[in-house]
Amino acid sequence: MRNYVWLFAPALTILLIVGLVPIFPLVNYSVQTPFQEENKFVGLDHFRKIYSDSRWFNAIHRNLLFSMIILAIEIPLGLVLAYFFHRPGVLNSVASAAIILPALFPYISIGLMWRLMAATVGPLGKILHMIGIEYNIAVNATQAFATIIIMDVWHWTSLAFLVFSAAFAAMDPTPIMAARTEGATRWQIFRYIQLPNLMFPLLFVILLRLIDSLRIFDEAFVLTSGGPGFSTEFVSQYIRNVALEQWNFGYGAALSLVYLFMIIVLCVMVMNILTRGRGVL
Amino acid sequence: MNKLSIKNVLAFIAVVFIVIVFAFPIYFTIVTSLSSRAFISQGSIIPDMHLGNWVDLFTLPRWYNAIRNSIIIAAGCVAVGLLLSIPAAYVFSRIKFGGDRHFFFWLLTNRMAPPVVLSIPYLIMFKTFGIWDTHYGAVLAYMVFNIPIAIWLLASFIVTIPREIDYAAFLDGYSLWTYFRKILLPALRPGIAVTAFFIWMYSWNEMFLASVITSANAKTLTAELLTTVGRLGWGIEYGVAAAGAVVTLIPGLILLYWARRYLIKGFTFGRL
Repeated sequence: MRNYVWLFAPALTILLIVGLVPIFPLVNYSVQTPFQEENKFVGLDHFRKIYSDSRWFNAIHRNLLFSMIILAIEIPLGLVLAYFFHRPGVLNSVASAAIILPALFPYISIGLMWRLMAATVGPLGKILHMIGIEYNIAVNATQAFATIIIMDVWHWTSLAFLVFSAAFAAMDPTPIMAARTEGATRWQIFRYIQLPNLMFPLLFVILLRLIDSLRIFDEAFVLTSGGPGFSTEFVSQYIRNVALEQWNFGYGAALSLVYLFMIIVLCVMVMNILTRGRGVL
Repeated sequence: MNKLSIKNVLAFIAVVFIVIVFAFPIYFTIVTSLSSRAFISQGSIIPDMHLGNWVDLFTLPRWYNAIRNSIIIAAGCVAVGLLLSIPAAYVFSRIKFGGDRHFFFWLLTNRMAPPVVLSIPYLIMFKTFGIWDTHYGAVLAYMVFNIPIAIWLLASFIVTIPREIDYAAFLDGYSLWTYFRKILLPALRPGIAVTAFFIWMYSWNEMFLASVITSANAKTLTAELLTTVGRLGWGIEYGVAAAGAVVTLIPGLILLYWARRYLIKGFTFGRL
């Protein structure tokens, strides 16, 4: 069977073309000023410029803050929902389906939905108006940021829910039954039997959501386009702006490489957690 | 029983609340797609059953072409992705090779690379080779996340097929092709179906790469939505954009109904 390794070749070739080859032009552009009046070699100037680029650091800070907030909401919320709805049953299936639903939709459609919800005459504005809050994401940066967080929680609590539900469903019921007959409270059962079994899924979801939220683009772009001003601009949006709006490919490539490096470091962590004692498949 | 029914009522209320919270934005988008401009500008949550937006969606070329392109590209991704990934997944699950962990890690990073990072080189590469704004280009680009998902999903199905069947088949003198056709593919049918659906979903939902590597001929529905939203004063197009968004939701709804028990696999690892 060993001589069938060549079956790998077609997939590998394509993957190299679209996955690895693009890195070379990126590296190449990051030390030049391509597609500008004069294309010259600038060495590491682009990378030096990053250090003093306040818009970049603002985007990084904002993105990290955003990631922390959504993790702090989505993980406990997903856990609580999974705790209550993981068992089979009609009501539970209905609730599960509703929670999972947003995860299946395109990011841009989610953004569009929330753009409609958050429009000046939209339902969100009307409800907040009733309780005396003037809501307008086009002028109020805090509200815009908060709306992006609500949208993300709505969209991705589903992932935490899915993973935790699967973990609950996969648990051996005998220790739980034994504890129950011994008179353990629900909290004790959760704390000492179920929670230890959830550590792996927990880390897994945290890292997944962390990486994913660092890549946020579509929904936030549709909802606020980074505004008002640059107050809700995330890393991906900034890079897109530099490269595809200002046509500064050199600097955009340098930023991309730094960004990619950050994501890869996180991937290494995911990989280590994923494969610890579990194997690849 | 009495005590139970109070609990049941509370559970019922909780479920109703959750369904409203999660379904309302979807409902509101459908409402918007079925409302006339006057109704939309009032933010009405009840539609006036105005079908003009849907008529526009299926008669204005830029919209129906976008829907057509999305379907062509997603279908192309399914075909090409499966063709490339089934043999690769077979090797990946049957043969241990040195550095397969590193290889797997590389698969993972392909899946995780932010689209914005890839978009710059793709734009240049595709323009150089004349596949920019073509269906071929989009399918090729989407392989960067489809092949890793497909290999992962298919391999996890293939490992459940006992190796002994392989040995028996090859001892009986089956060629590799006969083995694939008569044994592996029939046994792998559920895995292929699930993988096909996930490739479809990820390709159908993709927006960022599409907005960079397509512009007119091969522009997808998601990229068209972005263009619409990016246009100044697009408020007048809320209705038709909402209708377009509703169309983008359809594959997800089918998937939820059809492949619920495979969701977790496709999502957790598909997202990697």
